[in-house]
Amino acid sequence: MNAPVELPSAREVCPTTTRRLLAEGALMVDVRELGEVAQVAFDVPGVLLMPLSELQERFGELPRDRELVMVCQVGERSLKATYFLMYQGYTRVANMEGGLFKWARKGFPIKGAAPVAEPATSGCCGGSAASAPASSCCTPSPASGSTCC
Amino acid sequence: MDIKVLGTGCANCKATIALIDQIAKAKGVAVTLEKVEELRDIMGYGVMSTPGVVIDGKVVHAGGVPSRDKIEKWLTA
Repeated sequence: MNAPVELPSAREVCPTTTRRLLAEGALMVDVRELGEVAQVAFDVPGVLLMPLSELQERFGELPRDRELVMVCQVGERSLKATYFLMYQGYTRVANMEGGLFKWARKGFPIKGAAPVAEPATSGCCGGSAASAPASSCCTPSPASGSTCC
Repeated sequence: MDIKVLGTGCANCKATIALIDQIAKAKGVAVTLEKVEELRDIMGYGVMSTPGVVIDGKVVHAGGVPSRDKIEKWLTA
């Protein structure tokens, strides 16, 4: 197995910033398992499904020359995926904090039933802001903080 | 012997630490046992499945509680 690497804090972005990054050409990578995706999915053109359980075998499919935004249900598995890709030498990768819950809460497009349970999260991008423009709220921030703006 | 157990605090991680500690004591092997619980630090070893075990800087195990036999081999190597 490989030697240890001292990783910097992962870059974390909120759903609003994610939408802006997607508009600029970023690729959304959903690491939830396929059964979860079947229930409710990000309604984003071109979203790539790569369950965390397959990431180790399949990460080579991910482009290194394109911004990647890793997503999952609440932002924890995708953070792990983000660090894994950083370990593998990816530099253009960010984690969407809050995951699908936060995305849906902001009124951003999903397919399927809206998630009913929601984890207790805090941060500046909370609340309903379905009409917020994609560039309005957040800028990327390191993973060490709990806020995104 | 420097042993690190990588894991975010799950039951298997705790069981792994306890088992290594127990076997090391039984064999009379001096080990420095350390928990690594920060995700960033864990992922710095490229380990996707926890618990992971690192001995003297080298990942020797990832995923599930290691067997007693396996631990005994590590400690006699």
